[in-house]
Amino acid sequence: MGSLVLEALVKRYGASTAVERVDLDVRQGEMVALLGPSGCGKTTTLRMVAGFITPSEGRVLIGGRDVTRMPPYARDTGMVFQSYALFPHMSVAQNVAFGLEMRKVGRAERDARVMEALRLVQLDHLADRLPRQLSGGQQQRVALARALVVNPAVFLLDEPLSNLDAKLRGEVRMEIRALQQRLGLTTLIVTHDQEEALTMADRLVVMEKGRVRQVGTAEQLYEDPADPFVAGFVGRCNLLEGRVEAPGRFRTRAGDLLLCQAGGDAGEAILALRPERIALRAGGEGPARLAALTYLGAQTEYHVDFGATRLVVIGATPAAADPLRRLAAGDAVTLVWEASAARLLPAAA
Amino acid sequence: MTITRRAALAGSAAALASITAGLPGHARAQGGQVVVGTWGGDYGELLRQNIDAPLMRPKDIEVLQDIANADPRKTKLLAERQARRGTYDVACLSDTDMHMIGQQNVFDTIDTAKLSRNGAIIPALRKPYAVPHIYSALVLLYNPDKMPKPEGFAAMLDPKYRGRVGFSDILYSTNTFAAAMAAGGAFDNYEPAKKSLMDLRGLDAKVYPSNEAVAAALKSEEIWMTPMWLARGFMWQKAGIPVKHVVPQEGAYAIVFECGVPKNARNKDNAYTWLDASLDARAQTAFADRMGYLPTVTDAALPPEIMQQIGLSEAEQQRLRAPDYDYLLKNHAGILDFWNKQFKG
Amino acid sequence: MAALVLPAGLLVVLLLVAPMLLLFRISLNRFSPTELMVEATTAQNYLQAVQDPYYQQVLLTTLGIALGCTLVTLVMGFPAAYWLARMESRWKSLATIVTLFPLLVGNVVRAAGWMALLGNEGAINAALIGLGLISAPLPLLYNTGSVVVGIVAVVLPYMILTLAAVIEGIPRQTEEAAANLGGRPMTVFRRVLLPLALPGVMAGCVLVFILCMNTYASAVLLGGPQFKMMAPAVYDQFVRGNNWPFGAALAFILLTVTLVLTVLGSALIGRKYRR
Repeated sequence: MGSLVLEALVKRYGASTAVERVDLDVRQGEMVALLGPSGCGKTTTLRMVAGFITPSEGRVLIGGRDVTRMPPYARDTGMVFQSYALFPHMSVAQNVAFGLEMRKVGRAERDARVMEALRLVQLDHLADRLPRQLSGGQQQRVALARALVVNPAVFLLDEPLSNLDAKLRGEVRMEIRALQQRLGLTTLIVTHDQEEALTMADRLVVMEKGRVRQVGTAEQLYEDPADPFVAGFVGRCNLLEGRVEAPGRFRTRAGDLLLCQAGGDAGEAILALRPERIALRAGGEGPARLAALTYLGAQTEYHVDFGATRLVVIGATPAAADPLRRLAAGDAVTLVWEASAARLLPAAA
Repeated sequence: MTITRRAALAGSAAALASITAGLPGHARAQGGQVVVGTWGGDYGELLRQNIDAPLMRPKDIEVLQDIANADPRKTKLLAERQARRGTYDVACLSDTDMHMIGQQNVFDTIDTAKLSRNGAIIPALRKPYAVPHIYSALVLLYNPDKMPKPEGFAAMLDPKYRGRVGFSDILYSTNTFAAAMAAGGAFDNYEPAKKSLMDLRGLDAKVYPSNEAVAAALKSEEIWMTPMWLARGFMWQKAGIPVKHVVPQEGAYAIVFECGVPKNARNKDNAYTWLDASLDARAQTAFADRMGYLPTVTDAALPPEIMQQIGLSEAEQQRLRAPDYDYLLKNHAGILDFWNKQFKG
Repeated sequence: MAALVLPAGLLVVLLLVAPMLLLFRISLNRFSPTELMVEATTAQNYLQAVQDPYYQQVLLTTLGIALGCTLVTLVMGFPAAYWLARMESRWKSLATIVTLFPLLVGNVVRAAGWMALLGNEGAINAALIGLGLISAPLPLLYNTGSVVVGIVAVVLPYMILTLAAVIEGIPRQTEEAAANLGGRPMTVFRRVLLPLALPGVMAGCVLVFILCMNTYASAVLLGGPQFKMMAPAVYDQFVRGNNWPFGAALAFILLTVTLVLTVLGSALIGRKYRR
């Protein structure tokens, strides 16, 4: 296993830029997720690591070795494709053995390692099946085994869970994470699903329009987003345009005055306030009125008009005796949050 | 056996004609159409210019040419022999082909009473089943810049001229005759050709897929000699190809292009009108002038300068005879087989 | 359903089976130089054709040309088909049309084009002589090479389009996966692409082989008078020799050999790669 370093990686197609100066350092044994909406350049970045796309500028280093100009077959990466891309004319065992054959591993060792890899994904009993005779989840595990059996320097996952149904997804997510940690795999995973990224990766890279917006742990991104895009993309967030009037005082564009974190210069800014960081109380003399509420089981989502400003509040669904359970649209409410929870972000450029 | 667009058109035109024929006022007018199966190129063009346009159109008869080489036309005539209504009203073929197809009971016996020009036909060219249109003689063409005038077909076997003899593949029967005569054969004995053709093969004789390819080879002086129709030689000379002709001393035959009326022709009256027009003196002169063929009627005058080039002296005419049609009919398959398998094989 | 299929079925019988039966009947007749075709029921024509060393050679030449051209077409067509199938841009439909373009021109016209190019006075020889590279024209026309060139030009689009249709159905990721696992391009081709494209390879080869076996125009026009393949030999017997029974027998021998080899070949390749 080795580290993976991306240095000022750029990919241009004619006049348009798909990836704009991506720098990234994935430490040995670390799992990093590239997260972003479709078209943000995350898949292009992954494919540049695998060698399917040649960068316009920058370098890719695997285990300290510059592989930027190397063909895919010389890079020693193990990739799991979104579509799994199993070889339909080969049995499960033959699929898994392919990479070992390419590495000229002797027959006896090959067979042993194939079975070991299949046991790892609990498919050793299906070794002689053809891919089309397997379920989607089983195919996914064959793809995992096929990529892992060669002990790649870098493990690459391209939206590995998107073709699985919701129930399986959670299980496989945990399996992959467990496997990755057990084997100490240096891993880059591409996903558009923030939950997937948050739960699996050690660190996340949020990308938008070819650029890296922020790199950090799940907690860092959630608690301390660098900009409104990250705040909005990772978890839900009330994002309010306006200006800082005085330390701790934020005036929304609609004209309402809100409490915000101290610090930050006066002037144009965006206020980011997570819905679950707002506490809701029934009654009050303030300008807040409940506009709508949605019962979500464990949680309830409230839409509150604070003067002319709409805020989303999410709280644990109150007990039956709680007066909050009797709230209805139009009722006066009071919103409470800590100043430090209302973060000031730079206004969108 | 493809149906040409022309022939397909003919079908719809025929339907139209049969409707108008029933209308009052058209009872006397001849009108209608006639389908002539013939060669394309210059030949078809001259037919149009000298027969169809000046002589048939005034009679309100539309002439439709069904253009093909002789072989497909022969095959079509044979294939349609049992059919009630055939494609052609008039079919043009060389005398040998005409004889072969005539043997299969395909053609009407010519009703000479329907031909106003019957009396003008050269007697030696008369056939019961066809009307002669034009004729020419088989000659040996040679390049006068490269070799002295040869005496006859035997020159082809002279080792001096190794690689300088060319044959047109489509004239396999005529070439076999020439080779036979060169080696002491006769009109009814092509057997000596079996040896002389193999000798020619040993002498690197060339075979070209068409007459045009032979012309190109003569022009580039790749070859110096070929058995060919005098009329072709005349046209090639006019086109600047360095050839002269000799009527071989061994003897040769005339080729007569003839026209017959199939038994199952749809427009027989018009067919006879067309045959009569083909014997028109001016039309015949035009063919001689353009293509170097000799008229088959006694009263077609040729300009002296043309006569000098394509006319035949008394002595030369003595060497010309009609092919032995029956011998050819019986041996045609063998001749073709030998040509394909032994000579070319 | 049966009622719907019936008219088309009858049409097929009428247009396809009936002429074949007629041709077969003709092949059992006897040829006479004077009467041409005499009603008979004899295998004589078949025996004569099979025993004649000349026709054995013609059949061998035809087989050799057909197999050779099929192979050449496959080797040339695969990269082109791959390129076409993997094209993503808006040029793809244009490229497909360009591939189809040669099919808009008849075989005869195309052969005439090759003659104008390869002949002694053709464009290539004229250019070479004009440049002073050679003094006498090279014999480019009327040999096996010119026939192969002519045939390949005719059948290549069929091969490319058949292969491209199948290659398009093979996800690019499958190849990428093989490369990712360490497969070099030739290995990826041999181990992944080719086996998966095999149905297309087989369909293309069968189609092209049948077309090649029945080559007429290219053989006659580009092979010259000395070059003999089966289809021109059949034509020769029918049209020049007026020997319909023998021509029909030759046609049936050609048909049978083509059919048997096609079925055998497909079965063989199929068995080797089926699992």
